[in-house]
Amino acid sequence: MQTEVRQARFADVNDDVVRSLVVTGRNYYIALGIAGFVTLTCFFFPWFYQLYYGIGAAGMNSPTVWGTYLASFIFWIGLSHSGTLLSCVLHLTNSEWRKAMYRSAEAMTFFSLFVAITMVMVHIGRPWFIHWAAPYPNQMGLWPNFRSPLMFDVMAIMTYLTGSGIFIYMGAIPDFAAVRDRTTGWRHHLYVLLSLGWRGTDKEWHRLGWAYTFLAVLIIPLAVSVHSIVSWDFALSIVPGLHQTIFAPYFVVGAIYSGTAGIVTVMFVLRKYMNFEHYITKLHFDNLGKLLLLLSLLWTYINMLELFTGWFSGTSTEYEQLKYKLTGFYAPLYWEMILFCAVAPLLLISRKFRTSFVPMLILSIAINIGMYTERFLIVATTLSRQYLPGSWRVYVPSLVEISILVGSLALFVTLFLLFVKIFPSISIYEIKETMGVPKKHGEHHDT
Amino acid sequence: MNFIDRFMASWRKYRKPGYYEEFDYAWTMTVDLDRCTGCGACVTACQAENNIPIVGEKELGRGREMQWIRIERYWEGEYPNAKLSFIPMLCQQCDAAPCETVCPVSATYHNQDGLNAQIYNRCIGTRSCAVYCPYEVRYFNYYDHHWDAPLEQQLNPDVTVREKGVMEKCTFCVQRIRQAKDHAKDDGRRRVKDGEVQPACVQTCPSEALTFGDRKDANSVVAKKMNDPRAYHVLEETNTLPSVVYLKKVRANAD
Amino acid sequence: MTRNALGLFRDPDSALAAAGRLKGAGFERPELMSPIPIHGVEEVLGPKKSVIKRFTLVGGLLGAISGFTLAAWTAVLYVHPTGGRPIITLPPFLIITYEMTILFGILATVLGFLISARFPAIRERIYVPETAVDRFAVVVACSSDDLLQRAESILHEAGAEEVRRIAEGDS
Repeated sequence: MQTEVRQARFADVNDDVVRSLVVTGRNYYIALGIAGFVTLTCFFFPWFYQLYYGIGAAGMNSPTVWGTYLASFIFWIGLSHSGTLLSCVLHLTNSEWRKAMYRSAEAMTFFSLFVAITMVMVHIGRPWFIHWAAPYPNQMGLWPNFRSPLMFDVMAIMTYLTGSGIFIYMGAIPDFAAVRDRTTGWRHHLYVLLSLGWRGTDKEWHRLGWAYTFLAVLIIPLAVSVHSIVSWDFALSIVPGLHQTIFAPYFVVGAIYSGTAGIVTVMFVLRKYMNFEHYITKLHFDNLGKLLLLLSLLWTYINMLELFTGWFSGTSTEYEQLKYKLTGFYAPLYWEMILFCAVAPLLLISRKFRTSFVPMLILSIAINIGMYTERFLIVATTLSRQYLPGSWRVYVPSLVEISILVGSLALFVTLFLLFVKIFPSISIYEIKETMGVPKKHGEHHDT
Repeated sequence: MNFIDRFMASWRKYRKPGYYEEFDYAWTMTVDLDRCTGCGACVTACQAENNIPIVGEKELGRGREMQWIRIERYWEGEYPNAKLSFIPMLCQQCDAAPCETVCPVSATYHNQDGLNAQIYNRCIGTRSCAVYCPYEVRYFNYYDHHWDAPLEQQLNPDVTVREKGVMEKCTFCVQRIRQAKDHAKDDGRRRVKDGEVQPACVQTCPSEALTFGDRKDANSVVAKKMNDPRAYHVLEETNTLPSVVYLKKVRANAD
Repeated sequence: MTRNALGLFRDPDSALAAAGRLKGAGFERPELMSPIPIHGVEEVLGPKKSVIKRFTLVGGLLGAISGFTLAAWTAVLYVHPTGGRPIITLPPFLIITYEMTILFGILATVLGFLISARFPAIRERIYVPETAVDRFAVVVACSSDDLLQRAESILHEAGAEEVRRIAEGDS
């Protein structure tokens, strides 16, 4: 009889996932409607306004020519880091608890990257010429400048977008096949195309396993390189406060930190509103909490190191930079960041805290607010205090910038809401694997 | 010569750092701070020569002024004993320019005259060059600027009017340098003579604090001034190898 | 025209055992279909080789070469001296090389996966939708009716829940 129970549960997984795709409640449409409306009014309208009038619509000024747009860009790239990277590491280390959450984590990666690229479009002065930064043969005979750290960025982010897109898709091929058999209409046609004719033969599983592992192996160094390269956009300059060797690991740790916090937020929402309580459990929150604690300590350490190297350099410009950061115009934001990203996560040391859902949600959101502040400060404090005191000037974001920041969040939510109705948002076959393989004669076997 | 030799020859050629040394000219400006009175005539001349827009009071207050050459003022001490010092700041046309390497589309590069050239048509407005520039002399077009009639009549036809989203900066009046080179070629001379070309600011300076010339020519005025013991570069520690040389102000009560 | 015998099982071990018996009885290599990857297939049906790793390796090498060539060659095609650096600047170009290595490695892995697993499927193939849920199927191709009956009896003996005959178009 044991076998009966287990096999019934196998079918339940298919039912649950297909239901999450097909059955759409009123709340979903309300949420999608709000998110779409906010995206339109807070993201696209201000952006079009800015395209029409010029970057002057934002608050940037002469020394601080980079502003919240670039901070958002780093933030979204950072948020993209935990999904695929964490998923790859956990895949290679055979962590069972990854299986329930990795699909949505990877989707987060993909959409964060998408939003990050949109932020670049918003950031640059003439986005209608952005294709000039792509390496393609053209009638002008001109190629991009591969010596530029921004060009490394273009190459790295394009590779990362391709890689993480392929990774999430490849892991989902068997699931597309499973939902293909259960759907009708346009969905059926879509899944027929996406599943490529998957049948689940031993040969197909074997090839998928190999390809998936190879992709995981390739994506880990890629993800680490992406955020290192983003940090080099800053660190390769000679601006005091940016010209630091610690920047690459600082950014990578920060990225994984904010990404993991983002996963906690998304897990909470999926669990609560998609009825995945059976699959996303306290265990996941406990493990993610431990990871967050580790990352917060690492992040704090690197932050202290940054202050130390600034002090140790002994140059007047670095001193001024330090003084400005700790006590200047943006100092309240700095201390807010320390509170949210270094002090508050110490609560995670308690197991009770890690396994309670609402406090974890609040903490994860606080961490991401702190991490956004960190990115903003990297841009704002350093650029407003450079070498020549004659051109020191503070920068305050304009209404357009704040609106686009809110709108980019709504854009991400919109994309994610569309995703959960098209992609199976938890992995059917890997959930089945964790449930235990059915045995002959009612043997009970748990893996 | 076989293929490998040719390959190695071009490899060596392209691997050589400081490619700019083979350029025709090395235009240099010297700023004698002892002579500078801070009158701001250079700023006005530059504005007129290079079609620099007047951004207006509001934008000036937001820190978006356009001055390819500006007079930086520094006050020392409190009011009764306040001491004022100033320094004209313009694009230093660095030989190891941080702004050049960072442009993803090569909109800024080192040209044959050793100038740090900015190609407005190619610029996509990432503004990273302005961040990388330690002298803060790159100016961004936050808006499309326009000139009320009849002011558009006085725009210089030799200089483009820049559109929004484009970075711009001092060019050492590259249009005048081009013209002088063309004249030199028409006259059958190979090189431009010293003093034949002057940017607008140098031409205007009433106290002759600014001089301009080719430092490759050892007899030029700038080459001589560069050897003055007062000569220094601004932010020399950043190792950008600027082409603008400042001559230190000599104060009576040197402290 | 080939015909196929198909047995549906409730657990992977019986399915695997049936496949082993079929192979022992001299049938062509039977095919297993399952909702989850079955472990231990290679012990029963013989080792499987995958060409994917070669694709990845070749793709990565090609990516490294083309990455460096892209950066260096385009720099030489239209010479833009910047920042007093050499035209072929090694540290930045190696970063481009690194990224292109990974990009080509990923694309080649995907190509290798598609080719070695015969995707996308263009012709109709044998498929039982139950295997996407909770059943494990063994399919074996039989050239004659005799063989078909033998295969069916083997499948029944191995404890198949259901045995079907499926005709496959000449493919």
